[in-house]
Amino acid sequence: MRIHRDEKIKIGLKYCGGCNPEYDRVALVRHIEERLRGKVEFFEPEHEGIELILAVEGCSAACADLSAFQGMKIRIITSIEDGERFIREIEEQ
Amino acid sequence: MTMMNGQQYEESLRRLNLVVYMFGERIENVVDYPMIRPSMNAVAKTYELANRPEHEDIMTATSHLTGKKINRFTHIHQSIEDLVKKSKMGRLLGRETGCCFQRCVGMDSLNALDMTTFDIDGKYGTEYHKRFLKYLEYVQENDLTCCGAMTDTKGDRSLPPHQQADKDLFLHVVEEKNEGIIVRGAKAHQTGAVNSHEIIVMPTITLREEDKEYAVSFAVPSDTEGITYIIGRQSCDTRKLEKGTMDRGNLFFGGHEALVIFDDVFVPWERVVMYKEYDFSRQLVEQFAAYHRQSYACKVGVGDVLIGAAQTAAEYNGLEKASHIRDKIVEMNHLNETLYCGAIACASEGHKEPGGTYYVNSLLANVHKQNITRFPYEIARLAQDIAGGLLATLPSEDDFRSEEIGKWMEKYYKGRADIPTEYRMRILRLIENLTLGTAATNYLTESMHGAGSPQAQRIMITRRVNMQEKQRAAKTLCGIEDP
Repeated sequence: MRIHRDEKIKIGLKYCGGCNPEYDRVALVRHIEERLRGKVEFFEPEHEGIELILAVEGCSAACADLSAFQGMKIRIITSIEDGERFIREIEEQ
Repeated sequence: MTMMNGQQYEESLRRLNLVVYMFGERIENVVDYPMIRPSMNAVAKTYELANRPEHEDIMTATSHLTGKKINRFTHIHQSIEDLVKKSKMGRLLGRETGCCFQRCVGMDSLNALDMTTFDIDGKYGTEYHKRFLKYLEYVQENDLTCCGAMTDTKGDRSLPPHQQADKDLFLHVVEEKNEGIIVRGAKAHQTGAVNSHEIIVMPTITLREEDKEYAVSFAVPSDTEGITYIIGRQSCDTRKLEKGTMDRGNLFFGGHEALVIFDDVFVPWERVVMYKEYDFSRQLVEQFAAYHRQSYACKVGVGDVLIGAAQTAAEYNGLEKASHIRDKIVEMNHLNETLYCGAIACASEGHKEPGGTYYVNSLLANVHKQNITRFPYEIARLAQDIAGGLLATLPSEDDFRSEEIGKWMEKYYKGRADIPTEYRMRILRLIENLTLGTAATNYLTESMHGAGSPQAQRIMITRRVNMQEKQRAAKTLCGIEDP
């Protein structure tokens, strides 16, 4: 079922530290932003009114500290494929 | 201000009035001096990455003193996660700079002093920890780079400090005043000294009562009157003075070390955090050393660069599919990731000290550093093997740019047809830089002797290993019952 939204989804962007990333996390976020233009808006994770935290992790260890976002909806990405899945999910909403 | 960016850091260095010498002459403009500038760039990277969202999770922490977001290099570890992130930060920065970024030694000094001053106060009722925390807050609030100065010049290694022919061969207190102390001596091999705002001095060895005037720890601004810096040479260092940049290998970053001389330097009491408590010298040295041996996670990041360069050189030579080349690359990765295992393990197996600070597993930190004294040499050997002899015989960038002879280099140094000759030259220069040039100072010799020479780790491994449990297991399995 598609839900029509007039407003963009406010997404808080949280990266891991990037000690040894298996893909270009920043490039993937730019790609997601481009593909979902008009549908989502990225902010710092502490920004007010965030509906979803997108945790962009460089590898499957997924070590970004998400403790500050307890109770919030969190979507974790650990690969480019995950990014594509996230795009499809948003597009289908 | 709680966190500076790279530009603010550079500006803060320009406000210092350091007395720095190289080639027998005083350097008036330290920040822009071409043989020092790359090392400043490397420290600046520790500030720059802390301000990037894609790295802040590793590069920043929350101060246990103020609750503010701070650069991790000024943080006191509050959890196992903090220790693990420290190791990861080392790999990240080593890879981004391809050299020593110099700032870990200050972080390790702060953490060791946090624990030791707490324990001295517990025994003697002194106020060192209170002084230390006030100083720490100042460091955190101003996001300062601290040079951890431990290594004395040592003179005759068979003699303790008080028996040296020259008493100044170990830094010591020469006068006590109402307002503070006067110290004299020198600290050698001081990484990043002239890129630092503060110098934190600690004793270099376990001291006995006769040596208590040497049991002193304090922090002073790096431009305090009486401090002189003499910059150490590095192999191929004058390439940084040449007009081209290609022959440097690493165009942007480097490290530096200096001999730091304290010629009757005044230290106010509020900056003194150990004075004559010789019985805590061993603890301070061991705790600092364990943290600093963990810090050699940075070499994994530099190893990443060297492995990437070797793979690229193999591809440019058209040899990347040769089985022996592939096997050598596997071996380099095996060694590098084994080093990473040690860096992560000593952090993951850390524990909480009585004062609340988290401390690495000392045995595993020493094992990690012992591996660091060996594996980078083998990784470097394999990189040179893969790169080929041109690594050491390649003519200069000036020759390559020459209108008369450049065409011959372009023609005869060509590897794969679709790769520009210049690319091949650049990657070989980077491998040269890391294995023979300025960066080899840090990737190889510093790996050998930094944070203590190999024998120092072997002594600690002997002390820390649980031999009793090994013997119990062995004896039990073969039926020996001790009387």
